[in-house]
Amino acid sequence: MIIRAGPGFSLERSFCREDHWQLMIQLDRLTKKFSDFKTGERLALDHVSFDVKPGEIFGLLGPNGAGKTTCLRILSTVLKPTSGSAIIAGYDVATHPAQVRARIGFMSNNTGIYDRMTAWELVEYYGRLYGIPQAQLTQRLETIFSTLQMNEIREVLGSKMSTGMKQKVSIARAIVHDPPVMIFDEPTSGLDVLVARRVIHAVESLRDQGKCIIFSTHIMREVEKLCDRIAIIYRGRILAQGSIEELRDTHHQRDIEELFFELISACDAEEAEHLRANEDSINPGLDDTSTNVEVRP
Amino acid sequence: MNWRNVWLIFRREVLDQLRDRRTLFMVAVLPLLLYPALGIGMMQLTVLFSEQPRTVVILGAADLPPPQLLDGHRFAQAWFETNTESQNKLEVITDLPPENADTENSKALSADAEQPTNTTKKSAASPADLARRQRILNQAKELQVLIEQLKLLNPAAVERGRPATLLSPELEATQVQLRKTMSELFKQSGIQVLIIIPPDFDQSIEAVKQQLASQRSQPGEDSAKDAITPLDPTTPLAPANNFDYPRPLIIRNRADDKSVIAYTRVVEVMESWERQILRDQLKAGGLPEQLPTPIRAHVVELADSQQVANNVWSKLFPAMLIIMAVTGAFYPAIDLAAGEKERGTMETLLICPASRTEIVIGKFFTVMGFSMATAVLNLLSLSFTGKYVSSLAASNLSRNVDLTLPAFSSLVWVAVLLIPIAALFSALCLALATFARSSKEGQYYLTPLLMVTLGLTVFCLSPAVEMQPFYSILPVVGPALLLKERLLGTADSYLLWLYSIPVLITSAGYSLLALWWAIDQFSREEVLFRESERFELKLWLKQLLRDKTPTPSFAEAGVCFVVIMLLQFAALKMFQQPLSQAKPNELGGIMLKLMIVQQVAIIATPALRMGIILTTSVRQTFQFRLPKLRYLAASIILALSVFPLSLELSHRLAWFFPPLPESMKQVGELLSKNEQPLWLLLVAFAIAPAICEELAFRGFILSGLRQGGRHGLAIVISAISFGIIHMVSQQVFNAALLGLIIGLLAVQSRSIYPGMLYHFLHNGMQVGLSQVQTQLTKPGFHQVFITVSEGELVFRPLLLLLCALIAMAALTWLVSQPYPPREESPAPAN
Repeated sequence: MIIRAGPGFSLERSFCREDHWQLMIQLDRLTKKFSDFKTGERLALDHVSFDVKPGEIFGLLGPNGAGKTTCLRILSTVLKPTSGSAIIAGYDVATHPAQVRARIGFMSNNTGIYDRMTAWELVEYYGRLYGIPQAQLTQRLETIFSTLQMNEIREVLGSKMSTGMKQKVSIARAIVHDPPVMIFDEPTSGLDVLVARRVIHAVESLRDQGKCIIFSTHIMREVEKLCDRIAIIYRGRILAQGSIEELRDTHHQRDIEELFFELISACDAEEAEHLRANEDSINPGLDDTSTNVEVRP
Repeated sequence: MNWRNVWLIFRREVLDQLRDRRTLFMVAVLPLLLYPALGIGMMQLTVLFSEQPRTVVILGAADLPPPQLLDGHRFAQAWFETNTESQNKLEVITDLPPENADTENSKALSADAEQPTNTTKKSAASPADLARRQRILNQAKELQVLIEQLKLLNPAAVERGRPATLLSPELEATQVQLRKTMSELFKQSGIQVLIIIPPDFDQSIEAVKQQLASQRSQPGEDSAKDAITPLDPTTPLAPANNFDYPRPLIIRNRADDKSVIAYTRVVEVMESWERQILRDQLKAGGLPEQLPTPIRAHVVELADSQQVANNVWSKLFPAMLIIMAVTGAFYPAIDLAAGEKERGTMETLLICPASRTEIVIGKFFTVMGFSMATAVLNLLSLSFTGKYVSSLAASNLSRNVDLTLPAFSSLVWVAVLLIPIAALFSALCLALATFARSSKEGQYYLTPLLMVTLGLTVFCLSPAVEMQPFYSILPVVGPALLLKERLLGTADSYLLWLYSIPVLITSAGYSLLALWWAIDQFSREEVLFRESERFELKLWLKQLLRDKTPTPSFAEAGVCFVVIMLLQFAALKMFQQPLSQAKPNELGGIMLKLMIVQQVAIIATPALRMGIILTTSVRQTFQFRLPKLRYLAASIILALSVFPLSLELSHRLAWFFPPLPESMKQVGELLSKNEQPLWLLLVAFAIAPAICEELAFRGFILSGLRQGGRHGLAIVISAISFGIIHMVSQQVFNAALLGLIIGLLAVQSRSIYPGMLYHFLHNGMQVGLSQVQTQLTKPGFHQVFITVSEGELVFRPLLLLLCALIAMAALTWLVSQPYPPREESPAPAN
């Protein structure tokens, strides 16, 4: 089953508050335009629609510059969509950003931790910002620190931590308020195999707790291992989405990596055709046209 | 707004900054160490600093009259009146025979012969010294020869009072050559001051004394001739000749600092020596010593040490407060905004539940806290060090320069006024730092900010600048001047209380505006996620010309304004020249023509050029399209109704602004005098500005500012820039107000023409009214609306009320017009 955005979603939206949701995350024709110094306006996201249920890991698969980060930044309310809508736990990111932020745990390469704060202080600081009462917060911190095995770095300053430790703190920071929705933007990039493995396990255990998770990556292996459903995104557009099995069946390609390449080259060919037809047509504004895919053994 | 979040963020940021050693060092350690260290350094310097003795050569020393000027190789101690230490700073070399000049030396030598223990030091120095002196002396004599030549050539160059001789070109060239040679020789010789005593100078002085004495002994005798003849055979004639003896010559080089220092000391010595000789002469003539100083007043000093100290503090405190508030705000601001971007923690903060406003306010209070702490610590450290050092110096010099600290009430004012200053700079720095991509980029913004601040500080420090209504509403200047007056404590206290109100209100306003800007910066995606783009001038220029848009960009509008400002600045001198050379009766005509040239060349041309080069649609940029008739009607109604109001307003507010400069008054007179033809006045005052200023400000600049889609803000900024171009503060205000109305007209009508019409009518009426002013004095129906009293136009309240109603109605209508949807949907250029 490939879910396409349709009018049906807008009906459901009205009763999608807190307790009634079936779909934790709903994107409807989400579009984002950037005006660029060099190339003028460009579409970073072009009518992207998908949705995610609780207890599900949704994989966003695409090369660098495909629009993954932009999409997830809109979901985290850091960027505002140009058009279309994104509803998270019943709240529209454009109109109720504060409510949305309170219900998501967000972690990406760009969410660093403070150098001059200890692990405990940092997680506690964010916990307080989420408005968790102090007594409850201390208890929660104790739990998180012991499950993530972070007790030995409690009093270590951010500047003194290794990448792995920082990643742990980031995860702790993202889950401190026990959000129903988790968003991971390439959480394993730049990590060694051991740390990456630990992160993957953490994501899996979060799924088992019934969280609704979006996981973006450009690594096929992680997708195959982790995701219930995926969307392949390229040049701001979703080329295909569904469970991995569904994608294999629809496109008659067992190897997910090959599938990925096929879709992307088809898209490139189409783009080239389009360019030829229209000489001064829009520049897709991507970093480069080569598909930057990293494959892990 | 959740104040709990603000507090949480504030607390974290403060903690974070306190854990940063650099910040702590800048804020706390540096001021606490810097000033005491500077104080110690100064004390050390004064101890260690020993000035090299300067060389003074006296030729003809044998002819020096008594009392004794010299004491060996020094001037005699007695001639140094104020600073006795100066004696050792001048070495005098004379052409006296060595055994005479070096009496002390020879004595020392002979003494050394008896006491061999001391010989080594003194006798070793002596031959070298003697040789050096001889060398210098020889060079001095060479100079003397050259001087004689110069004297022959052009007596006026050497002796004061001689008529200047016109030299032929060849002789002139010789003279220049001679001077050059002399200056070269002087430089090589190592002489700082050369004194040439004319031959028989002592006898000339003595002759005067003798004459005075003889006049005293023979008071009845009319003819002084007999009395003098035996004494001075060289000048046997009239007594006047006795005083007309040749004077000494002093040769120095004003461009050489050493020579200047030596010269000032020599002059001091010579003057007190001269006074002594004068006293002797007066005594010889039996005259009182006070004769040459009939009006020497006694000075009664009223200032006590507290007031003297206040004077010092009133200059130091505002300056330090402002500069330290900036520096104290700047580094934390960069760390809190640009630094956060750089370290990749910005996004973490943005996804927390706190809103952008809460984040900015939390950060703002942190920056402000550090800004205030820096300022306070610096002031404290400075004042205590200052007090200590000055008391040390006072005990050394036995002079009363004790710096008492300001009174407590003044210190309270320091604290009160620090708040708005720190708030303004904190918000400004935060906005700039948010804009910066990295800490490094942020640092670049410090220099311009500091330069502007320093400029304002220097302005406030000038003793001539006093508190005025207009200054009280300026940012930074207002609080600084108020603080200065408070510390000085000489101004009327009631008046200062009165000034405190506008100062505090406007300062708070500016701070809020800056804070709004900071929040705005923080809420903008393109600012927060600005990517570092490699900048290449060539590429950029290419891109600028290639990817033109129909209307100019925000930045291009800013550049246009700066270009106009710079051109105007450059043209100031150009226009002054013909005006200063003009005959009085032609002055008016030339001024008017220059005004037209200025409008066309400086204001319209840059805007039009930029419009043609930088945009694809000149028509859209300048809004060259016919407006709907109702907008033209609106502009006429508005122009007519606003004109009396604007005149009345500027009349009412005249007290508020600094007085008009002389040149502006001239322009005013030009209008009222009926010397110039009306058509010329109209072209210069109404038509040219209406076309040229509109093209620039409502054409290029407003279009550029509007590109971001913020039309209201664009109108305000264009109005302010339109005001600024008028230079004089009163006109700045008027023009900015008019700019608002015309800007609104231009935006709503989507055409430049209603604005031009309005501008023309407004200025035209000004010309017209001043032309018919004389006729308005006659009684008639118009006196219900307008009268002339004391040469000034006075609008009657009835007229003003009517105008206000009409203007209000017209403006309301204008604002209520639906803003036309974004025209022909500005398709991306590519």
